[in-house]
Amino acid sequence: MTTTSTNTYKETSFASVAQSPGSNKCRQIRARLHGLVSSSLRLDAGWAQRHIANCPRCQSRIVGVGKVELALSLVKSRRHHLDLLMRANMQAVGVLKHSLREAPKAEKLKSTLPEPKLSEQLSKYKHSTANVAACLAILFLMKIGIFCSMEQLQTRGQEVLKQYYAGHVGQDLADEIFSA
Amino acid sequence: MFDKALSYGIVWGFSVCETVDESQRWILSVMQKHGQELVTMLWRILGNDQDVCDAYQSTFLHLAHCQSGQKPRHVKAYIFRTASNVAVSMLRRRLVERKGLSAAIAGGSSGKAVPSVDAVQDVFPSPANEFDSKHLQDILRCYIARLPEHLRDVITLHDLAELPYAQVGRILGISAATARVYRCKAIQLLSVWMSKERQE
Repeated sequence: MTTTSTNTYKETSFASVAQSPGSNKCRQIRARLHGLVSSSLRLDAGWAQRHIANCPRCQSRIVGVGKVELALSLVKSRRHHLDLLMRANMQAVGVLKHSLREAPKAEKLKSTLPEPKLSEQLSKYKHSTANVAACLAILFLMKIGIFCSMEQLQTRGQEVLKQYYAGHVGQDLADEIFSA
Repeated sequence: MFDKALSYGIVWGFSVCETVDESQRWILSVMQKHGQELVTMLWRILGNDQDVCDAYQSTFLHLAHCQSGQKPRHVKAYIFRTASNVAVSMLRRRLVERKGLSAAIAGGSSGKAVPSVDAVQDVFPSPANEFDSKHLQDILRCYIARLPEHLRDVITLHDLAELPYAQVGRILGISAATARVYRCKAIQLLSVWMSKERQE
């Protein structure tokens, strides 16, 4: 029952995308298909894990891919010497024309050291930025919650007083007092 | 140093080095802008300081002599592809040299020559080497050099130069989705080769 309703929803959403005007229809459908495929075809899904546990060929394939990924990570993690860029620049500039070799920029290149990218430089502020954003969000939600509660309190209080007056001095007079 | 440069044929067709026109100051700007990324990529492909410097120099020599010294339309694409090709050529040359040395050792024709550690590892691969970091990196480099060009380009640009798929696609003149597919095929091929190597 749940599967049927999910499928109906997916079909409806695809139909709505297909019927919607605009040039990026294909892109939207592709994005949805990608989302659906990546959500349903995960390697850690139960059915996949059950198969892999009993299939030596799949096991060897996964081990092979893991080995390649490990080797790639090892290659990427090995850092070169800090002065390699400087030496490479020096060697490359050395074969250019004399006028280029003597240019101020060439002199600067000969002493250039690698600098971290802006994204890497800002990555150290990532956690503190996330914390500040979370605090602000909590404060905002608390503020909204407090205002909502106060409004509710005021409304309820008014209703109680109106009922009290209606019971003691009459409905007409209570309406007149609270409508003012 | 000079012997090494000769062995890799770095100077190739550029018999006269100082033929760069003064109007080519843009080369210095390109060097400044992309030098760091290029060195990182070359280091990851080659894993040797001197080879990196040679490949880097060769890349900028190609750039200086490209289209009669005119600036290419897509400079970044040009230098990354050139650097990748130069580095892979050097890698292949190194592998051939190493294979020749290994064959000589195995055949006993090397006489009194002392084999290098790498050569010994190539001739007698042991289970202890299986997860040895350096061995794994060397094996990967060796197989990357053996990949078909279209797959190798994606691996070098996406995995070693850490460029996003969209940029890799632009550099290679393919779509980002095709780059993803090529990368997947390359990984499959590498894993098959590396598994075979382990079994052998």
